[in-house]
Amino acid sequence: MSGERNLWSRRLRTDLRAALAIVAVLAVVPAFVSSPYWLGILIVSIYFALLALGWNLLAGFTGQFSLAPAAFAMLGAYATALLDYHWKMPLAIGVPAAIVGTALLGFVLGRIVLRLQGPYLALTTLSFAEIARVVIGNSHEFTRGDQGLNVPALLHSRVGYYYLFLAVLLAVLMALYFLMRGRAGRFWLAIRDDSTGAESRGIDVVRYKALAFALSCAICGLAGSLYGTFSQLVSPELGLLLQTGLVISMVVIGGMGTLTGPILGALLVYLSSEWLRSVGNIQLIVFSVLVIVFARFFRTGLWGIATGRRR
Amino acid sequence: MSLLRAQGITKHFGGVAAVDAFTFSVEEGEILGLIGPNGSGKTTLLNILSGFIRADAGRAWLGDEEVTGMATVALARRGLLRMFQMTRVFPRIPAFDNLLTAGLARGLSEREAETRARALLEELTLAPVRYLDAGQLSGGQRKLLEFGMCFIAPPRIALLDEPFAAVHPVMRETMATFIRRRNEQGHTFLVVSHDMPIVVDLCHRTVCMNAGKLIAAGPTREVLKHPAVIEAYLGSGSHA
Repeated sequence: MSGERNLWSRRLRTDLRAALAIVAVLAVVPAFVSSPYWLGILIVSIYFALLALGWNLLAGFTGQFSLAPAAFAMLGAYATALLDYHWKMPLAIGVPAAIVGTALLGFVLGRIVLRLQGPYLALTTLSFAEIARVVIGNSHEFTRGDQGLNVPALLHSRVGYYYLFLAVLLAVLMALYFLMRGRAGRFWLAIRDDSTGAESRGIDVVRYKALAFALSCAICGLAGSLYGTFSQLVSPELGLLLQTGLVISMVVIGGMGTLTGPILGALLVYLSSEWLRSVGNIQLIVFSVLVIVFARFFRTGLWGIATGRRR
Repeated sequence: MSLLRAQGITKHFGGVAAVDAFTFSVEEGEILGLIGPNGSGKTTLLNILSGFIRADAGRAWLGDEEVTGMATVALARRGLLRMFQMTRVFPRIPAFDNLLTAGLARGLSEREAETRARALLEELTLAPVRYLDAGQLSGGQRKLLEFGMCFIAPPRIALLDEPFAAVHPVMRETMATFIRRRNEQGHTFLVVSHDMPIVVDLCHRTVCMNAGKLIAAGPTREVLKHPAVIEAYLGSGSHA
């Protein structure tokens, strides 16, 4: 990419248009796909697209490599489930509570890991994720442990759920677009590229890193909460490291630090994962190899290849 | 009047005194040179003054305000900006966006930052590469870009760490002209450099440090002739 089109605002606008085109295609899919099974697969793909967008805000735009997106989805799902199970709180309270709760936890985690980078940051967030999963799994009296918790359904139609997830994806996408084209987005990119340089220019690195953590975790928490109401069961399996691995491979393959990449990656990876499952459960091997190939040769992912932007 | 004043700044790394009870001041509107052999403590002093590390002892003032131990971001907001020996630009966004980001960080509106970024790109001869990612620029172009990032909203004082090191002579002249022009407008600089002809040409006064201590201070030409300075650079007996 060269010339004026390389300016951040132009890049972002092109990126948004492509992401909106994918959302538009997804919007007409139910006209052609009526199978509840495939609609379910697409709903889970969109759930992963939300997680991928959330993780990408932190890792792709801000340069903070967290290994906890699935853990925050699990925490969001449990926040909604526990409020219903113990206190009979309606979902109208349970879902927003999941967003606020995970945002606060993310903010606290962001402050704790503030000075950590690279492998230290990754290991700390991984430890947090595993502690959260093990605590939930072992708190039988409060969470029913590995048996999981039932969650009431928000809607009773699969098509309704499909459009709900799609509407949330669109809302998150637009929110990220407006954030990234404004002051906060530019500061996140600066922190990603050189946090010392950003600080020396007057950017409040502490504040913006913590904000990125909070927002990223809130997106994952929202996705988890909605997923819980869709599957009507939440269990510690939602927070497995394997799920985080899947999210990372989606973003790496789709294109880190973009809006289109995580959505494209989530759809391609999850849909092909379903297909590969029928071939012989080799999906993990295939995605691991793909991540290595993309990380080595195509670091800007599929969206980078499509726009001719290499690194 | 002193714009930046440091008194008794001391910093030890292990048993070594990197900066040892260093006292000096930068007057408003001057270009002060800070020289000294490698390892004399110049960058450590700059790191302390710009809030990147804390001094073990000593105090500092920016104008009337004591800024001892203040964080980098707070100092930057008060107009104390730093340029690094190894450039610190944002490599994955275009040069124009680097300037825009620096402007926003200093509190400018997007429109104002854009206008100033365009003017600075012209002045710094970077207009032809404004759409290239900063990581694709040459070392000299990155230094020029960092000048622009420092000056998109005029700082009260700019601390420049080896701005002329490993830079093409034409770009070096562009930088020197930029500093001179800004100084004529009243801006204050503290320039760390090993490039003595440029120090002589630019700096009204110079302080020299060796082994963390101040060994000479005064008008630049006089400091360069000072026996302690010659000895620090060339070794004992060199002025005999």
